[in-house]
Amino acid sequence: MKQRIVLIMILCQILLCHGLWAADKTKSLAIRAGKIWTITNGVITNGVVIIQNGKIETVGKDLHIPESIKTLEMPDKNIIPGLIDAHCHMGLSLDIFNEIEETVSPITPDMQILDAFNPLAEDLTKALRSGVTTILLAPGYKNPIAGQTAVVKLYGAKTDDRVLKHSAGIKFSLGNESLMSDRRPTSRSGLIALIREELNKVQDSGKNKLNPSSQILKRVVKGELPVFLYCNTVDEIVASIQIVEEYELKATLVSAREGDEVANMIAERNIPVIYMPSLLLSRDKDLKRSGKIAGAGIKVAFASFAPKTNLSDLRTSAIIAARYGLSHELALKSLTINAAEILGIAEQVGSIEQGKDADLVILNGDPLELTSIIEMVIINGNIVYQREEK
Amino acid sequence: MVTKRIFVISSLLSLYTFTYTLGAENIAIKAGNILPIKGSAIEHGTILIKDGKIEALGRDVVIPSDTRIIDAKDKFVMPGLIDAQSRLYVIESELNERGAISPELNILDALDPFIKEHQEVLAQGVTTIYVTPGSNSLLGGRGAVLKLNGSKTADKMVLKADVAIKGVIGISSNNQSSSLARLEHYASIREALIATQAYMQTKRKYEQALSEYKKKKAENGEQKKDYKQEKAKKEKPKRPAKPKQNPIYEILAKVLRKEIPLQIEAHRVDDILNALRLADEFDFTLILDKCTEGYMIADEIDRRKIPVIVGPVSTSFVDMPKLEYRNHDMRNAAILSKKGVKLALGVSGRDGGSSKFISLAAAMAVANGLDKDVALRAITLTPAEILGVASRIGSLESGKDADIIILSGHPLDTFIQVEMVLIEGETVYERKASQ
Repeated sequence: MKQRIVLIMILCQILLCHGLWAADKTKSLAIRAGKIWTITNGVITNGVVIIQNGKIETVGKDLHIPESIKTLEMPDKNIIPGLIDAHCHMGLSLDIFNEIEETVSPITPDMQILDAFNPLAEDLTKALRSGVTTILLAPGYKNPIAGQTAVVKLYGAKTDDRVLKHSAGIKFSLGNESLMSDRRPTSRSGLIALIREELNKVQDSGKNKLNPSSQILKRVVKGELPVFLYCNTVDEIVASIQIVEEYELKATLVSAREGDEVANMIAERNIPVIYMPSLLLSRDKDLKRSGKIAGAGIKVAFASFAPKTNLSDLRTSAIIAARYGLSHELALKSLTINAAEILGIAEQVGSIEQGKDADLVILNGDPLELTSIIEMVIINGNIVYQREEK
Repeated sequence: MVTKRIFVISSLLSLYTFTYTLGAENIAIKAGNILPIKGSAIEHGTILIKDGKIEALGRDVVIPSDTRIIDAKDKFVMPGLIDAQSRLYVIESELNERGAISPELNILDALDPFIKEHQEVLAQGVTTIYVTPGSNSLLGGRGAVLKLNGSKTADKMVLKADVAIKGVIGISSNNQSSSLARLEHYASIREALIATQAYMQTKRKYEQALSEYKKKKAENGEQKKDYKQEKAKKEKPKRPAKPKQNPIYEILAKVLRKEIPLQIEAHRVDDILNALRLADEFDFTLILDKCTEGYMIADEIDRRKIPVIVGPVSTSFVDMPKLEYRNHDMRNAAILSKKGVKLALGVSGRDGGSSKFISLAAAMAVANGLDKDVALRAITLTPAEILGVASRIGSLESGKDADIIILSGHPLDTFIQVEMVLIEGETVYERKASQ
């Protein structure tokens, strides 16, 4: 009996190693699965995805798989695109909010969060295990103009391969967190005034030579660099929208807890929302808000704000939102294609389509059932996580 | 006008008598699927309720004629859920006598029955919660099991008071690791227990001396009748001095006599091991609480057969995770359970309303490897057993309280609805069609 177990274990290991090896070396792999949720093109039952050189070569129902390609048969599994965490602070140290908050000066557009990122940090593997393959790394909450965000994948052969966008936009924080007693701003209107002051400065600069900070803000007011405006309450959201209008910024709202109260205002201006983690909320009224925002026609993505919430709980946020009224279709889109579009990476990731990166998540059940187990995660065609039975 | 008023009054009266009789009435729930938790599932069965208790359940229960029938033919029926790490009805900041040894405190003295969230928690099928003092005291006081029956006074909600003394080893309250503080936690609790032993001994000695005194006095009384021995009067026995009552040691003595369990919140491996060491040394009934890194030493816990209340399943449920959660793993419950540890799940949420997430927390544990049946048990019967209320709640068995929930599907499925909640046979929640 014991011998048999050992034998099985050895066999399993050989299979596992072989699987990883095959994916890494030949860069081609085919998966036949019970359900393929393409997101942009409906659900394919008993379909096939063929991966070539890290990209999706083809996806469809009755595809011919060349004999040279290794095929994974998964008749009872579901495949979805890799999930995208649209706002988080993973891969920084444990005492994270000391590392990402630059509290001496309130205006730090030249600060790059990528400079503090540890691509080998342990918490990244936890996110990976939960199906997250791409993240937006953001600076903290205490500076009105907080710094540059970056888009990173959670796997790459070399660590610097992981970065999709070194600067994906500037984070502004209009939340209460940026009000301090010992430096500007100390009040809500002072906060807005300070942001206006900075943006006016670069707008009026003409041909004057600008310092690096102002150069970045200049790109913001030109609409070249998007802004992520962190705001929660109605007054914060309205003030954010006002600034977006005044300076014609390319903007996304982040958190936007009470966004449903001014949903029309947001929808009219086509501003997308990266909604806060559902598990930070507990009242029924709050849990229904994200569904109402998406229902108003606003493009919604989700974020973990990790480590504010567990970095494995991105999917949980969408599932809870769906339980409280968000449509199932939008819930899945918010985790994938919507987030990709908001972050400007939809040509590469966010759906299972020909030509996109082969970032795939394989589950043993419906992707929106909390009890479904994530069995395998693939990034750029590499099997980067495979669940072992304990 | 007058007739209208009469009509309103009479209809109100009839409504009153109607609802009044409802309470005393027998109820039968005809269910598509009964999950009794103890015993296997019953398809197309009936649960008969009499005087707030479960009278009978099964496939061929005879329904008496004067019985109100609840039709749940296409529904799942199971016992009400329990959150064993709730803070409903209590305000966290009001719960902590910081750093103190204060086991004599009682959570029941800090309850606010008017907290609104209770209705939303009930609507998710939670009928019972366990609340304890907070995490900042070493021995913080006594916890209580409460029913969400909507009572306006604490004593009417209480299912069981003095469930356990809540203790803590190794909480870094300011998010700063301090090993010295850890040493102090273990040593202070140990010191308190040793002092209790001494206190108990003093009391025992006093009682011995007292009974001797009483015996002598009685003997003297008999001797008094004997006129010949008047001298004996001079040897009048002295009444022993009564030792001062100490509420701290009085309550801890109950722990050492195994009348009340000691529930110790510990996260890190060393803290959990310290809790186990204390239980080994003083031989009290231990309940491990939180047990974040328990999966690393599952064998040690299993060997001693110590029950565990695991939670939070995800650190998302707590505010800005502290150092204790550094090695938090969502597979904790699954690993402990596979090693044979008896476990209940708790939400351990950031506020009272979080208790509504208990079935979601169980589903999250399942996604991380916990067996589905164990997960259901961990939010019903197992917490009832650990908290000493399993004779009343936790499963559908005849003789137990009719705390029953009716669901539109399997309780661990994400998109089901709680249709109806009964506590002791009374309908305390019913879903409206629009919800």
